[in-house]
Amino acid sequence: MKVLALHPEKCTGCLRCELACSYMQTGLFQPSKSVIRVSPFEGYTSYAPYTCTQCAEGWCMTACPVGAIQINVAGAKDVMDDTCVGCKLCTIACPFGTMFYDGDTQKAYKCNLCGGAPACASACPTEAITFEEAETADWIGDFAAERAGRVLAVEAR
Amino acid sequence: MMVRHLIVGGGTAGLNAIRTIREEERLSGAAGSDITLVSAERPYSRMVLPYYLGGTISESHVYTAQPAALTAWNVKALLGRKARKLDPAARTLTLDDAATVEFDDCLIATGSRASKAPIAGADGPGVHCFWTLDEAKEVVAGIAPGSRVVMVGAGFIAFTILNAILARGAKLTIVEVLPRILPRMVDDACAGIVQAWLQDHGVAVRTGATVTKIEQVGGKRKLSFKKGEPLTADLVIMATGIRTNLEWLKDSGIEMAADGTGGVMVDDHLRTNVTSVYAAGDVARGRNLITGAAEVHAIEPTAQEHGRVVGANMAGRDVAYRGSLLMNIVEVAHLDVASFGQWEDAKAEVYAALRAGRSEYRKLLFHGGRLTGAVICGPAEAVWTTNDVGMLKGLVYSGVDLSAWKGHLKKNPFDVKPAFIATRTTSRLLPETILGRPSQSPELPHTVAL
Repeated sequence: MKVLALHPEKCTGCLRCELACSYMQTGLFQPSKSVIRVSPFEGYTSYAPYTCTQCAEGWCMTACPVGAIQINVAGAKDVMDDTCVGCKLCTIACPFGTMFYDGDTQKAYKCNLCGGAPACASACPTEAITFEEAETADWIGDFAAERAGRVLAVEAR
Repeated sequence: MMVRHLIVGGGTAGLNAIRTIREEERLSGAAGSDITLVSAERPYSRMVLPYYLGGTISESHVYTAQPAALTAWNVKALLGRKARKLDPAARTLTLDDAATVEFDDCLIATGSRASKAPIAGADGPGVHCFWTLDEAKEVVAGIAPGSRVVMVGAGFIAFTILNAILARGAKLTIVEVLPRILPRMVDDACAGIVQAWLQDHGVAVRTGATVTKIEQVGGKRKLSFKKGEPLTADLVIMATGIRTNLEWLKDSGIEMAADGTGGVMVDDHLRTNVTSVYAAGDVARGRNLITGAAEVHAIEPTAQEHGRVVGANMAGRDVAYRGSLLMNIVEVAHLDVASFGQWEDAKAEVYAALRAGRSEYRKLLFHGGRLTGAVICGPAEAVWTTNDVGMLKGLVYSGVDLSAWKGHLKKNPFDVKPAFIATRTTSRLLPETILGRPSQSPELPHTVAL
């Protein structure tokens, strides 16, 4: 399956992915509505994007009481808007913090790989986000551990 | 002969078991087994009844398996029937119409029911529970714009319907016998934030208030209290607790705790003490993931996981269950409130922080380097509230070692995200599946190959 591969060492923190994602997901150029989120590390000197891994368990999907989350043609777990009631159970079931809730529509939403042509990957100018055939993975854990480790060492002094 | 599965109870646990049995058969290519469902009600989701009450979904939206779907799933559905007597030795179940059903294995998933506090007048007209679809319909019929509604009980169930009552234009007063709201879901500090938020949003809250009687006066309900002025209401909702539906198992030989009020004893495969009889959901005394203790977790996610594990085992797999994580989330007037795991624990090391002006709160409970519980609250429109909710679940569920981060989190319990990412919690969680295989899309039953 093609997945979103994240390469944090190439991320410049430009937030184009968040703009593209929010537009695709909600029709608004509004980073707060993006389901890919760029986080700063080491005092805003480096950045990494973070989004749904399309995990095997699909915690959001199995938790939905009305079957509103299904696997789409791209293999992504996708929220069916007309079925979702907005109960937020998926937001506590997902252990990755990658379920979102749109207060305007009162529905849950999440990364659905844009149905197979992810806007974040197209918008990224540095190939920090690529859409490729791969096993899903913890793309940014090692990067974050290294950057955060230095900060924690300073804090502990 | 085909294996005969009997599912007693058409709620979340029962329906998840049925779906999983059919999934396993499709994945393995095994012949379809014989499934009988006995359910007192048509299968629907209690979790979405508040949205029916609020008027954002229609009645048809609450059903989890319509008759046509059950037919397509090849389930023999005995709806409107109640189980009366289980004979494990003969492997038969007797129903309330005296019919008997034979089985090779059986799932006990009869759930729980609302239980009214023993208050004089609580059985009178205009005093309702909100648990079943029929009860929801009564409440829908009883509320009009401007109605005065009094909710007795300030627990999770009460709070799930709070938005819906306000959306119908009613004036709401919540009364709670204990000194604070949400006593079994969040700690004192968080309860204080939620109570202040509710009062700011026009909901009256009376804590430490014991209702002594409910009288019918001029077509309205008059509630008297041990202390303080009486209240008048058009409609009273009793959200004063639930109890297990297990009376029918008396004398069956199925081992239960506290005469059934404490649930059916089960092992790590959700098997009871009787061969080929399982229990799941609100009636199962299953394993607590964090403490390992056997207890009833009457929450939707536990019913789902229990049901799926039993379904897989009934289909011939050997699936052990790690245990369920106690967790709840409720949104009240656009404030998200959630808790995970052992959030009330005198032996834990506790880091908490409050941003009073923003109604934001985080509480982290540690045993050594392991996060064993958490409480979170914050405005629903803040995207970081939702993100932190999930990450706190992941940290508690995975039990990842946060030793290196404790100093940082002690200073700033809000800074959950970098700790989650840098401790490689994602790589700990990715291999985790409940059934030891990738989950399937919850496809409509008619797509299931039989």
